[in-house]
Amino acid sequence: MSFSRRNFLIATGVAAASSTVLSACSSGSSNSGNSNGGKHDAAKANTITIKVGTAEDSKGPAPEVSGAKKGGKVYLLNDDDFSHLDPQRIYYAWNSLVEVVLARTLTGYKIGDDGSMTLVGDLAVDTGVMKDEGKTWTFTLKDGIKWEDGSDITVDDVRHGMERGFADFTTEGATYAQVWLTGSEEPRKSYSGPYKGKHLKSIETSGKSITFHLAEARPDFNYVLAMHSYAPVPVKHDTKQAYDKKPFSSGPYKVKSHTTDKSMVLVRNEHWDPNTDPIRNAYPDEFDFTFGIEAETAIDRLIADTGNDQYAVSWRTIPQSKIQQATTKAKDRTFTALGSGTSVYWINQTRVTDMSVREAIIRAWPTAGIRRLQGGENRGDYATGFMSPLVAGYKSQDVWGKLKKPEGDPAKAKEVLKKAGKLGTKVVYAYQNDPVNAKVKVVIENALTKAGFEFVGKPLDSTTFYDQIGMVDNPYDVYWGGWSADWPTGYSDFMPCFHSSKVVDQGNNYSHLKNKDVDAAIKAATEEVDQTKANDMWAAIDKQVTELGAFIPDVYMRRIYMHGSKLGNVKMDPNFDGCMLYKMYVKA
Amino acid sequence: MLRFLVRRLLGAAVTLLIISAITFMLFYAVPRDPARMACGKVCTPDTLELIRHNMGIDDPLPQQYWNWLSGIFVGRDYTGIGNCNAPCLGYSFVNHESVLGTVKDRFPTTASLALGSSVVFLIFGIGTGMLAAVKQGKALDKIASSASLVASSMQIYFVGPVALYLLVYQTHLLDQPAYTPFTENPAAWFTGLLVPWLVLALIWTANYTRMTRSQMVETLSEDYVRTARAKGLSQRTVFFRFAWRGAMGPLVTIFGIDMGVLLGGAMITEKTFSLQGLGMLAVKSVINNDLPMLLGVMIVTAAFVVLANIVVDAVYAMIDPRIRLA
Repeated sequence: MSFSRRNFLIATGVAAASSTVLSACSSGSSNSGNSNGGKHDAAKANTITIKVGTAEDSKGPAPEVSGAKKGGKVYLLNDDDFSHLDPQRIYYAWNSLVEVVLARTLTGYKIGDDGSMTLVGDLAVDTGVMKDEGKTWTFTLKDGIKWEDGSDITVDDVRHGMERGFADFTTEGATYAQVWLTGSEEPRKSYSGPYKGKHLKSIETSGKSITFHLAEARPDFNYVLAMHSYAPVPVKHDTKQAYDKKPFSSGPYKVKSHTTDKSMVLVRNEHWDPNTDPIRNAYPDEFDFTFGIEAETAIDRLIADTGNDQYAVSWRTIPQSKIQQATTKAKDRTFTALGSGTSVYWINQTRVTDMSVREAIIRAWPTAGIRRLQGGENRGDYATGFMSPLVAGYKSQDVWGKLKKPEGDPAKAKEVLKKAGKLGTKVVYAYQNDPVNAKVKVVIENALTKAGFEFVGKPLDSTTFYDQIGMVDNPYDVYWGGWSADWPTGYSDFMPCFHSSKVVDQGNNYSHLKNKDVDAAIKAATEEVDQTKANDMWAAIDKQVTELGAFIPDVYMRRIYMHGSKLGNVKMDPNFDGCMLYKMYVKA
Repeated sequence: MLRFLVRRLLGAAVTLLIISAITFMLFYAVPRDPARMACGKVCTPDTLELIRHNMGIDDPLPQQYWNWLSGIFVGRDYTGIGNCNAPCLGYSFVNHESVLGTVKDRFPTTASLALGSSVVFLIFGIGTGMLAAVKQGKALDKIASSASLVASSMQIYFVGPVALYLLVYQTHLLDQPAYTPFTENPAAWFTGLLVPWLVLALIWTANYTRMTRSQMVETLSEDYVRTARAKGLSQRTVFFRFAWRGAMGPLVTIFGIDMGVLLGGAMITEKTFSLQGLGMLAVKSVINNDLPMLLGVMIVTAAFVVLANIVVDAVYAMIDPRIRLA
């Protein structure tokens, strides 16, 4: 499956072995559910506040963390290196978690102690001025924003960053803005990047202001510009492909050294001015990343809590095999929270055309049994729809009664099937051929058989699973999928996953839903200038696609992390589903 | 000797050529597209084609193989990235580094692991094996044989975490495994690799104990050894000058192959102790669908095994005068 920026862990972890428990990094924020034995479900999942801030909110410095002090070194125990540090090549949260302290963007998210997100101006004085109902956006840069060499960050650098997104070596990054700036679904055909001396006509600069002229109305364009794919890059220090190894910093830290797959050291960028930054605190003096440490080994070291490991954080979720040990031996140093990902099982509308059959599958689906096999409560909270509680406008709306009967209701499903005269309908379920998914398949098979279906399981090779289910003419009826929005509004949930134009080979509309009403609703919500109204419209679309039986809601994914005893305020970034480097501090 | 070496080196070159060709073909037989990983979420056919072109994987397969092969001798030019000087083993579009550079960077870790552990397992393995052979049938022999049987049936992925738990996490007797270049800090190099050496050596010591014992017992029953004894030579002379020398031949052969394998990367050991050597590089290359890197590691690994075999053949002849280099 092609995954959203924030969904890299879903793509690489759970997708490969759905037993992997997704987890996040938060200690005590209100968005984090209590994992102390309480049941996690959508009804209990507290939605977080997501709002657009004012110019006042965009002023630095960031509010101080109580008890925090500057200094010290933090050690990060990573299993893998970051795939990219060049902002234009960054899409996934794994990279954004570190990029957020290296690259500032026009806008960004100010995270409250309660986990709330406020969109503020990061490099810009505010969240932008919208005209033409979202077709024109103007941003003005703050005073005192500098690169790591002390030179000013200019609008030329901002434009250069946007234009680099068209280059032939930045194909990994997001392409939303490129499409809107050129009006073409193949933006590189219209513009090939800044290296041939040409600028994009749709971007204008004047003094400290930069104006974007979009081909379509995008009232939430200021959210989109918080993506690292659209971060500025200094014209004078653009090393093209080599920029990926050592980007030029505009954030509170800079890369001191980086040996691929082995280590990376970040030290303070002395030219970063906290008074211009409403988002980042930046307490530690240094971050020392070691790559190649197995997740299990990292947790063993953190449980032992000796030497430098007292100042360490596990960069990856606690593996399922270590959760009990970690939460028993060092409960006060583990923390769980809801991530932004939603797990679902797609129902292929091309093949399962009868609504009654879809309803019967959904009603019979043994969500509780599946969750037990995949880590229980740490796997996630029962989902009722597609929209995560971490997306603006989320509403819990249990269309299929999954909260009341998470174990499934085969009897009711059989009734529905019988009434429709569809008893004995064949359901082909495709799954990744690994031990956990093989067990999950048995649970599903039992439930669907009990409901009166003829069940056929098709194990697929994990490495080609998404290629196979990504074909429009795939021969499967039901298959797993995970998703999280690229920014916390409904657009990047519903446009890529449910609009009929996205029913293409290797597209993201895996259910192949083609519904004119849904398309119209998506268009209306996309164009709605009033974001409060737009959020309500996205929530309505969530209910609409759920009712159409495009998918079986599974869970809103949870994450669980661990840190050493000498670190404080280690919290989760709800936007990137990982630890906020810029909020933690060294205790002693 | 010269003729022998030339002939074996030519044979080695052909072996490596075949291995590289097979690896190349096998990799492409797997239905995974390396370009997909670099294509982002909204991957249009045009973008995919652009990436394939940049990676040089839009050429016919034989052409790609030829480009790779010729690069070893004349270097390659990668559009937009630069020139890769000969010997060019390729460029990794995942790591964005030259394959040879990465292999060179990882090799010291693997070499340190292999050499350090081999010193330990050779000393203890051969020593214990000889002792058991001398004391054949006695308590020492039985203890050594039983212990080596138990140790040789253990696996790194079991012994490694147990050793870490006991020696590092609980008792703090030894340091957390890590690689520090010898030239940078010899003490840190030694202490950081001690646990992996001991664990790797524990299993290999057992194997060498068993092999040494059986070879020695067999050699001690040979006619020429009996003759030496009958001539009244001392036990020490019989043992070291005759029996030991005769028993070492097969051991050297096995050690040569083992060293070749170890230098190619002890994958499980490196993964268990989070050491970034050639083994881990190979594993990651497979996971990342990184053909150039995988091919580079495979060739280097194969080269070590092939070279080790040539060295073994030469050393064998020196140890055992009965063997002549034909």
